[in-house]
Amino acid sequence: MSEALKTLIAACRKGEQPYQALVERVPYAQFLGIRIEARGEELSFVLPKADTNVGNPTLPALHGGAVAGFMEQAALIFLLLEMGEPKLPKTIDFTIDYLRAGLFRDTFAECRVTRLGRRIGNVNIEAWQTRRDEPIAIARAHFLLSDEGA
Amino acid sequence: MELGIEVTEAEEYRVTAIMPWQARLVGNPDSGILHGGAVFAFLDQVGGLAVATRVYPSFEITPTIDFRLDHLRAPAKGKTVVGVGECYRLTEHVAFIRLTAYEEGQEHDPLATGLATYMRMKISAQNYFGKSKHE
Repeated sequence: MSEALKTLIAACRKGEQPYQALVERVPYAQFLGIRIEARGEELSFVLPKADTNVGNPTLPALHGGAVAGFMEQAALIFLLLEMGEPKLPKTIDFTIDYLRAGLFRDTFAECRVTRLGRRIGNVNIEAWQTRRDEPIAIARAHFLLSDEGA
Repeated sequence: MELGIEVTEAEEYRVTAIMPWQARLVGNPDSGILHGGAVFAFLDQVGGLAVATRVYPSFEITPTIDFRLDHLRAPAKGKTVVGVGECYRLTEHVAFIRLTAYEEGQEHDPLATGLATYMRMKISAQNYFGKSKHE
């Protein structure tokens, strides 16, 4: 991964840079409008409600693709910060179950690393709106942890 | 509209659409590679369209039940992505869709393959999803 990203991660950990800077370097994450709220090293991911993320304007409901992209990005950043010596995670596969309609309101994501190996990381992601125990979607993803390239 | 998706072919069993490369859909700023989530959103939409053409002339709301996407390789910067959705099985309540994405002109070297199911909703969405039990 690039030196610039390594430096940024180190700066975030020291509190010299907000974690939000990790979102700002990713154009698609910015387009979705993802926000990171940090309490120390505990991060919560927020997808604020936005017209550009609506899939069904009559309900209105969020687009499943926007929710999935948000959850994937949350997992990427979460995994990036879990690693002592960070490697760039690349998505191998992403599987999502939609449990409820994503209504036109803020969405939150929580991540849990199931297994962090040398080459592959497995992350579970839950997205919810009104209550944590009523997820609108659950997802799991595998990431290739790569040394090479950006 | 935001993803710039355009349907190029629509048949009963198969829909093809394109998503031109856009700077705001990038996931890796160093390489210009599209975000996995952008490819996902595109193919989720193509899957929905594949259900729509299969049930045409009837119109149904078809929320995604589940979706798995395998990223086989990264799309090159600047390349238009083509998505193909095929509804290979339609039951009374569920549509089964197979999805493939490739760079324009590279249909034999796919970027991503996906498998999804969609709910066929003949009742109003409000009735189906109901309300949160706490509301």
